[in-house]
Amino acid sequence: MVTLAAEHISVVRAGRKLLDDVCVAFASPGATAIIGPNGAGKSTLLKTLAGLLAPTSGSVIVDGRTLDTIQAAHRAAMIGYMPQQFEPHWDIQLRDLVRISCERAVGSQGRRTPDDILAAHRIEALAEQRWSTLSGGERARALLSMVLAVDPPILLADEPAASLDPGYRLELLQKIAERGKAGICVTVMHDIDLAFRFFDQIVMLDAGRVVASGHARDVYERTVLDDAFGVNFVRSRKGELRLINPGFLRGEGPCRR
Amino acid sequence: MRIWLSLLAFVLCSVLVGVCAGHTWASPASVARALSGDSSLHSMLLLQWRFPRVVAAALVGALLGVAGTVFQGVFRNPLAEPYLLGSAGGAALGATIALLVPIGVPQAWLLPALAFLGAWGATLLVVGVSRAAGGLDIPTLLLSGVAVAAVLAALRSFLMLALSDETVSLQVVLSWVLGGMQTPSWNGVGLLLVVAVLAIFACFRLAPGLDKLGLGEQMAAAYGLRVTRFVVLAVLVGSAAVAASVTVGGLIGFVGLAAPHIARWSVGPMHRLVVPASAAIGSGVVTLADAIARSALPPAEIPLGLITALAGGPFFLLVLARSRRW
Repeated sequence: MVTLAAEHISVVRAGRKLLDDVCVAFASPGATAIIGPNGAGKSTLLKTLAGLLAPTSGSVIVDGRTLDTIQAAHRAAMIGYMPQQFEPHWDIQLRDLVRISCERAVGSQGRRTPDDILAAHRIEALAEQRWSTLSGGERARALLSMVLAVDPPILLADEPAASLDPGYRLELLQKIAERGKAGICVTVMHDIDLAFRFFDQIVMLDAGRVVASGHARDVYERTVLDDAFGVNFVRSRKGELRLINPGFLRGEGPCRR
Repeated sequence: MRIWLSLLAFVLCSVLVGVCAGHTWASPASVARALSGDSSLHSMLLLQWRFPRVVAAALVGALLGVAGTVFQGVFRNPLAEPYLLGSAGGAALGATIALLVPIGVPQAWLLPALAFLGAWGATLLVVGVSRAAGGLDIPTLLLSGVAVAAVLAALRSFLMLALSDETVSLQVVLSWVLGGMQTPSWNGVGLLLVVAVLAIFACFRLAPGLDKLGLGEQMAAAYGLRVTRFVVLAVLVGSAAVAASVTVGGLIGFVGLAAPHIARWSVGPMHRLVVPASAAIGSGVVTLADAIARSALPPAEIPLGLITALAGGPFFLLVLARSRRW
């Protein structure tokens, strides 16, 4: 089983400390949501884990090796990274996009044809369509099929589904979280409600530091959640840990720092 | 498949037209006679003068086509063209030195050598300046390209003013800059063929990387492409192709810009298809333009670069207006 951990990662850009000594080991198998207020360093952490951003100090450990010693091609086959926004420069047909995505396969990795992959994601009908003609929901499905084309053991998704209709959003998050059953899934979530609904592990960042991590059930109860967001959440008891309703703003709100 | 056959037919027809055209028109029959080893003067002239030039034009066009594809792919900008990173300025400076500075080396060797060095050296310089100025990212590369091109153009103008004591030599320089095919010996064609095949093959090998880069730098990196390294490699390979074309054909405008677009309209945006298609289109276009250059105003020859820009510009605009955006 694959492992993924961040060891004492700090990222400094233009004099700003975006991540400050972050240590996290991700459950394997497991689905983890990274939450935190805007500017907490969620996307920065995810990009660092994906190897797209070199940490100023510290290292990412994948399967016992530091990430920067792993060949780029192997990294690409192991880690699927789903960006927040994706817009190809050329108006490419979906089948070709998936074809490019398949080429990351290394060695024994199952080589499936683009059409197999499209069929597995039930978007085979869109194969001939160009990217510009796809709707938002179709694009989200298409992007996920691209990222998962080589069946990477690690999936890192950056605020997927943020701008989707509820139906598409739930469907997409479900598919993403399912990746945590057999491998590692780490997802930056803006919507805390959905984070607690779909992910069994939570890592919470605030101002570049990990302020809480562990099983969703435990993090859910902690007041650090309210402190970081500057909100008193009302924890719902309906069902299980389902809904967190923002209660009222406290102090001057989240900008108090 | 049909599109590839028509591209092949286009190249072959262009070559046939190119061989037939000239200040005296040769019928296809006399071309066939010359090819079958006939020893009449007419056949010898065709074989030694016209054929090599037509083949050279076809190769130069193919080089411009693939180089344009590489530059548009790297910069992901539809306006990118092969001379973007200083190749043109460098080549022109090299040629000016060869034509005007008395060095004492036969010009037949000096001109191509300096043009090639200038074209490729300018791009190396741009990459070096860019690295020193902040990084090898796309905006810095482009700005360095503009700066280096300006300096090279100024140097060339200065040399032209300082060194030409007669207007004749100035005209020679100008006509070279405007583009025109040299008539190479068969040995020269052989050398060009080897270089062209290598350059086209190298550009073809870049295609999967260009496809990844087309997904955006972040996605390309996530897909295992080492972006900075790849960009530099692609730029250097593309410039080598341009340098080879400049050496034989001078500065031929517009082909490297338009051929990749026309290729994308015919085979779609995947670079592994665009590279060969653009090679075929560039090849046919330059061959036809060179045929016009040789035969329109006999016995004079119109600069090839003028024809490609004059005919290509409006045609390209027409196609652009009628097709969808890529």
